[in-house]
Amino acid sequence: MLMMSRRQGEIILIGEEIEIVIAHIGRSRVKVGIRAPRTLAVLAREAKLVRDENLAAAAAVPADAARLLNLWRHHPMR
Amino acid sequence: MPVLESRQFGPISYREDALIVFPCGLPGFEERHRFLALSLPRREPLVFLQSVDDPSLCFLTLPVLAVEPAYRLEVSREDLIQVGLPPASPPRIGDDVLCLAMISIRETGATANLLAPVVVNLRNLRAVQAVAPDSRYSHRHALFPPPVSGHDRAAGSTNKTRPPEAGRRSARSSAEAAPC
Repeated sequence: MLMMSRRQGEIILIGEEIEIVIAHIGRSRVKVGIRAPRTLAVLAREAKLVRDENLAAAAAVPADAARLLNLWRHHPMR
Repeated sequence: MPVLESRQFGPISYREDALIVFPCGLPGFEERHRFLALSLPRREPLVFLQSVDDPSLCFLTLPVLAVEPAYRLEVSREDLIQVGLPPASPPRIGDDVLCLAMISIRETGATANLLAPVVVNLRNLRAVQAVAPDSRYSHRHALFPPPVSGHDRAAGSTNKTRPPEAGRRSARSSAEAAPC
């Protein structure tokens, strides 16, 4: 992974069309501005994880419920 | 009383004030706003999150505290405002909010999404799937290891669905709706 140090207000370019602006540096978070073509999806990684996980969760059906409960109740991980 | 012809459970009659409303939908299901939280006999503590907008959409969920008794709920300021909770104080599970973990079932096992629990304001039944950016929790918290094969799926269903405790509270519409 390429690592770069940047100060507040500085910019990183990716290719010709993508700009990453370090807009604000707080104590524990940074605010980042992203300028990119509209065709590119830009979203936080956890948002994509949750979206994908929801799509997988929607495939579980109530018929799974009895078996799921049975396994869960009797498993030592609980 | 309106009746929902759900795919999984057949007809479900429900009260409008039992509807849980996600003002912004859920990630991946942004157009699905209205859900019923159903608990079934012999299936507790599972909670079925049945979409009213899409009769074929039903999520399996478990209360987060049933999955992880020491769960620490963290909800962003934006999400708190979204469901009409005071942004200054963290909500208490059970007192202020119903907090559910979505369950996914794969061949590798069943997992609960503790990274992004569904948080329902018990006072107005407005809800959000609260993605915690700084969370130490996994979006795939293992309920138990594999295998959970899908080949013996039974077509068991029942019409005896009823809303859980939260659903029976009266719903008040929240005036301030934050944009999605």
